Amino acid sequence: MSAHRIRFTLNGAAVDTTVPAERLLVDLLRYDLGKTGTKDGCSIGVCGLCTVQIDGMPFSSCLLFATQVNGTAVRTVEGLSSLLQEAFTLEGGFQCGICTSGQLVAADALLRAKPDATDAEIADWQMGNLCRCTGYYGIARAIARARDAR
Amino acid sequence: MPPRDGRGALIHPDLLDRPERRIDGDDKTTGAARYTADLVVPRVLEAGFVRSPYPHARIVSIDAERARALDGVRTVLTGADVRGQRLGRRLQDWPVLCWDRVLFIGDRVAAVAADTREIAEEAVRLISVEYEELPALLDVEEALRGDAPVLHPDAASYRFLEGRGERPPVPHPNHQGHVAESHGDVDAAFARAARIFEHEFTTPRIHQAALEPRAAIVWLEGDRVRVVSTNKAPFNLRDQMAATLGLAKERVVVDNGTIGGDFGGKGLSTDEFVLYHLAKATGRPVRAITRYSDELTTTNPRHSSRIRLRTGVDADGRILAHESHALFDGGAYAAGKPTVRLLVEGGVSTLEGYRVPAARHEAATVYTNNVPGGHMRAPGQPQNVFASESHLDLIARELGIAPLEMRRRNIARAGDLTTTGEPWHGPDLGALLDRAADEIRAEKARPAGHGIGFAVGVRHVGRGSTTISLRLGPDGTVEARTGVGDQGGGQHTLIQRIVAATLEIDPAKVRVRRLSTEGPQDPGIGGSRVTPVHGGAALAAARALKDKLGVRSVAEAARALAADEALEASATFDATAVDHGACAHAIEVAVDAETGAVRVLSAVLAVDVGQVINPVGLRGQLEGGFVYGLGMALTEDLALEDGRVRAANLGDYKLPTIADVPPLRIVHLSDGHGVGPYGARSAGELVNPGVPAAVANAVQDASGARVHTLPITAERVWRVLRAP
Repeated sequence: MSAHRIRFTLNGAAVDTTVPAERLLVDLLRYDLGKTGTKDGCSIGVCGLCTVQIDGMPFSSCLLFATQVNGTAVRTVEGLSSLLQEAFTLEGGFQCGICTSGQLVAADALLRAKPDATDAEIADWQMGNLCRCTGYYGIARAIARARDAR
Repeated sequence: MPPRDGRGALIHPDLLDRPERRIDGDDKTTGAARYTADLVVPRVLEAGFVRSPYPHARIVSIDAERARALDGVRTVLTGADVRGQRLGRRLQDWPVLCWDRVLFIGDRVAAVAADTREIAEEAVRLISVEYEELPALLDVEEALRGDAPVLHPDAASYRFLEGRGERPPVPHPNHQGHVAESHGDVDAAFARAARIFEHEFTTPRIHQAALEPRAAIVWLEGDRVRVVSTNKAPFNLRDQMAATLGLAKERVVVDNGTIGGDFGGKGLSTDEFVLYHLAKATGRPVRAITRYSDELTTTNPRHSSRIRLRTGVDADGRILAHESHALFDGGAYAAGKPTVRLLVEGGVSTLEGYRVPAARHEAATVYTNNVPGGHMRAPGQPQNVFASESHLDLIARELGIAPLEMRRRNIARAGDLTTTGEPWHGPDLGALLDRAADEIRAEKARPAGHGIGFAVGVRHVGRGSTTISLRLGPDGTVEARTGVGDQGGGQHTLIQRIVAATLEIDPAKVRVRRLSTEGPQDPGIGGSRVTPVHGGAALAAARALKDKLGVRSVAEAARALAADEALEASATFDATAVDHGACAHAIEVAVDAETGAVRVLSAVLAVDVGQVINPVGLRGQLEGGFVYGLGMALTEDLALEDGRVRAANLGDYKLPTIADVPPLRIVHLSDGHGVGPYGARSAGELVNPGVPAAVANAVQDASGARVHTLPITAERVWRVLRAP
């Protein structure tokens, strides 16, 4: 496999590295860069555990090659500093926590783009992030709380 | 001693009324929490497994030469290397690697350890196995025929763990477990009945679908075998590994950290055993991170069921006699079931929560060549409640009695004989039912196509014993040490809150430290156990520490300690009391008469879980349990075709999403007299069992269509509506 040099920012810090062509973004983040806050669940882009922001938009990092983030700004849960995080704790937005990074990264992208998102828009946006513990009620309350606190 | 009210119950401290701040909140919302697959392990090798493509076959030969020659492959093991070793939670019937026959699609015949996961998976593809296909038993009734091939001819030689005696005898060699029990004169009671009704219900396999797939790391350190895995009961895993691998228990140290969901499934581990052999063969740590497709297709899902119910009633619809026949497809191995009878125990006693003067229950788990069944959130109970509560509705409609009135006439009141033959002990079920009916406005006229359904769920409060120790340091903080992990239920926050409340200190001053299996024995998570058992131990330990304080406050006692001193107290608590939590469900649906599509409009849960310890955590258990049940009701189906799981990924296996959940109202009614700490009861397995039944009953109320099979898809409703 060919090696490719890629440069991007990860949570604001410059990354300059070389990866094999087939390296997945989720594996680059977790295993090469040690950002294990991003999780790998279904590996086919439906569960949302591996959600990261690329230039502010949420993507499944299990479906992207690392080379595809060349020249972009990537944000993971480790780079969040948001009212959302405290709201998830206070409102029961997580239990086991395995989906939480992805939920937070997705919701953060929404509230940055649309600070006054309605409850229906929140539900529509978070549809790609599965949770098996909470039944989603706590997640919806937490995102609404963070929105209302702005 | 803490203050008590006139009836002897502990008066709870005010702290318990305030919402908690979860102890794991900061770690889980910043990505800092470390799960098994996140751990950095120097020199770790990755495992891969060769799996059977046949439901039943004899292994003729295995050629692993090309895999062994692949660059980066460190070792390859086949069944011949571990011949005779079998794993399991109670009955050890599942080969670590198969050496002569494979019994389901996904059964393992070889294992690889390689430098990377990609190399391991490539090596797996290079191993060729020659099989001779054997006739497969894919149906439970076929498996119980007199001439059916016996899937486990050597069952008598299997190890039965922690037996206070032997494995209970079964009438057919393809039974895993079997029970027939009764109370009262059932035949005489049926003879007195004005009407007798009989119905059959089926439910499919469904998967726990914890979003974290299983992961495990095993390495050797001196004479110790070190294990970190996603198993939720580390001491049980240690004991199983010791038994299977022929090691002294003390040599196996299991140190399991944060777990990404369990729902019962992660009580069974299948990888750790062969990882030991791979680690031993290579001298390096070996890790297995399960691909989600393997998680769905080869790990122990909820048993599919076929339940036949027969009930005799008097002219007013009062139950006189009841009998049930329940068959559960146990699949190729019973290894996933920890129970002594090898049953899914929640499936035995149909019509729980009602007054049943005479009853006969027969239930069995059956060996087939399907994926092995295991434990999942209230094992056996959702199948049971779907059948029981659907049956009750059907009887009511046949008799011309409103389903709600039918329940009011038959609900178990204090002291009434229930279906188990025991008098009812626990919450006021009638009050819960009435409240649920009020909240859903049962008497209100509804538009065509809308309807409501009811169900009642009762769940035992778990039992068991554990030890918690406390250590007060000079800085005024208390460290609580426990062997239980936190798979999401909020166990550590529960311990923190009970200790803080009892010692009358700020919860932020209580840390919880989890110990490995080198610490005191712990039963792990499961069976609605943690609140009564670990909560009880936390309360006992806090009271023991309080006794040592005498008249001093915690802060005063801490100030008196020298820098290297600590005040310690420990308690071993054995929770033995019998109690139940209870929930009345009321659900409103709309059914589209053209398409059969079901939309859940709203739901009410009226629950009695006694004293609340973690208000936020409790709400999450009830809400999460409700949606867990909604998935079983409407979408989840781990269907098999010729023994192969069709929904082999999370795109095909349909979990509810945030857009699928209806408005939910939860009402708490409590007598405050649960047997747990401060009068608490368990909540984790209380809600999900009743949801499919309440939905099915609402669908009939809305559309006239009675669906006897889960999930209640639009296609199934449409077919009933169109039936001649």
